[in-house]
Amino acid sequence: MSMLRLDQIFMAAVVAAMMVVPMMSASEESLNLISLILVWGLFAVGFDLIFGMAGMLSFGHAAMFGAGGYALALLAPQVGYVPALLAAALAGVVLAFLLSVFALRVSGLFFSLLTLALAQLAYILASTKLRAFTGGLDGIPGVPRPAMFGVDFYNNRNFFYFLMAVFVIGVAIMAVLRVSPFGSALKAVQANDVRAEQIGYNVQRLRQCAFMISGAYAGVSGALLASLMFYVSPQMLHWSTSGDVLIMTLLGGKGTLLGPVLGVAVFEVLKEELSQFTQHWYGILGIVFILCTIFLPNGIAGLFAKLGRIGKGASK
Amino acid sequence: MSVGTGVSLQCENILVAFGGLKAVAGVSRSFESGRIYGLIGPNGAGKTTLMNALSGHATLSAGKVVLNGRDITKLSVHARTRAGLGRSFQITKIFAGMTVLENLKLAAFAHLYRVQPFWMPAGRFADVRQGAEKVLEQIGLERLANAPAENLSHGDQRALEVGLALLSDPSVLLLDEPLAGVGHERLEQAIELIRRIVAGRTVLLIEHNMDVVMQISDEIVVMVQGQLLASGSPAEIKANPAVRAAYLGEDE
Repeated sequence: MSMLRLDQIFMAAVVAAMMVVPMMSASEESLNLISLILVWGLFAVGFDLIFGMAGMLSFGHAAMFGAGGYALALLAPQVGYVPALLAAALAGVVLAFLLSVFALRVSGLFFSLLTLALAQLAYILASTKLRAFTGGLDGIPGVPRPAMFGVDFYNNRNFFYFLMAVFVIGVAIMAVLRVSPFGSALKAVQANDVRAEQIGYNVQRLRQCAFMISGAYAGVSGALLASLMFYVSPQMLHWSTSGDVLIMTLLGGKGTLLGPVLGVAVFEVLKEELSQFTQHWYGILGIVFILCTIFLPNGIAGLFAKLGRIGKGASK
Repeated sequence: MSVGTGVSLQCENILVAFGGLKAVAGVSRSFESGRIYGLIGPNGAGKTTLMNALSGHATLSAGKVVLNGRDITKLSVHARTRAGLGRSFQITKIFAGMTVLENLKLAAFAHLYRVQPFWMPAGRFADVRQGAEKVLEQIGLERLANAPAENLSHGDQRALEVGLALLSDPSVLLLDEPLAGVGHERLEQAIELIRRIVAGRTVLLIEHNMDVVMQISDEIVVMVQGQLLASGSPAEIKANPAVRAAYLGEDE
């Protein structure tokens, strides 16, 4: 149990290799693509804490993602970049808390539907009611990037290193969370919530904590996306954003640390390649997704687990 | 009744109603420390519902549950566990996808930490491992420590089910048919296990095997149609004509 499994090492190697690509190649496309994968990867890694570990299908993570984007866009000019990034995490936590107050009263499908409804409420607020702050459907252009150590982060290559640093820190924290007693408790809640409660776990509090931590990840990654694009709009709060992160996580393999990152990578690469040929890339992605759920129920991580077993068998 | 060492669990006029059906229709009863109570009655008598009311799984329409002098009526399930009430389920509820030892460790973490540590790998907690291994030995599953819990034989799963309730070292233990489905060849062993783990605790035991319940219990409590019909020593209950009419007679 304490030993790192082979498939996890493989996955880490693939993710690491992916991050090295922009360092080796001068191409702007690969730089932008990997930057995007890191941002969405962080989002998916946080999403899996609630989805893969606690077994709750949230369909409202777009709310925290968007809130992070807006928090950064509005606060960075006033308080500086890093405090604004922390505020984005806090915005995700606070919003997740508010959502959880309502959504955690129910479970299963009803939880998914309530999170969806509440996130749509946030979408409507941002796109119309709070127009004075959010710029309505036009969004807020000119979202800043960090300014520190005298480095020009408006250079995409430099900003990529910043994203990589945040990504690595985020994944490292999540790695510890997942193997900690807190992580075990979440798995227990997923496996049998009645029994988990009976042996003394405060199941609702555990779910709420996981949801809020997941919200922090959504907030930070939303802020980073806004920074990467120099732009934030209600589209980030749209329900399809919640759908995307779900598809990415399932594609990569829920319940694994790095599987969701690989799911994001496949999603973004396919989107990038397909959209060059056809407008209907989303439909083709859908077909790929359906095929994957049929033939790869455990996602790409499941493929790695198979590889790991073969590798182990060969070494014996 | 002789004077016991004190009352550990007290039911005061407990009422649990589902719509118009009174599953538990006003039960008042004290359970004294360190004694084993066999709760018997025909199907639908409300035994499991009474247990649910005590453990917090069923909402009381009226009445009070007092554990070691403390009113726990309003407490949630996990808070009651913390207060010293343990329970096993009629339908096995173990954590599938985990080993036997991991199952027990979860119970140990839940018992030992109010806030689950999130900064350190779960494998580094020696106190948790020791607690889990102690119970593993008590329930006699050492040889299966690293076996996936869902692959265990039915009898072993029942033992693990009871083991999970033991980790919080409860002063009052509710056992809902701990021997259900345990085969003949394992029965002696299972009874022996229950005898061992209940020592020093107040136990409320639902069991359909009459020979077993009469053999284990200090006192039998008979429940019929949501109410207590009679209670007494196993010998008294066997001789009680009302009980025979309401319950035992059915089988003979």
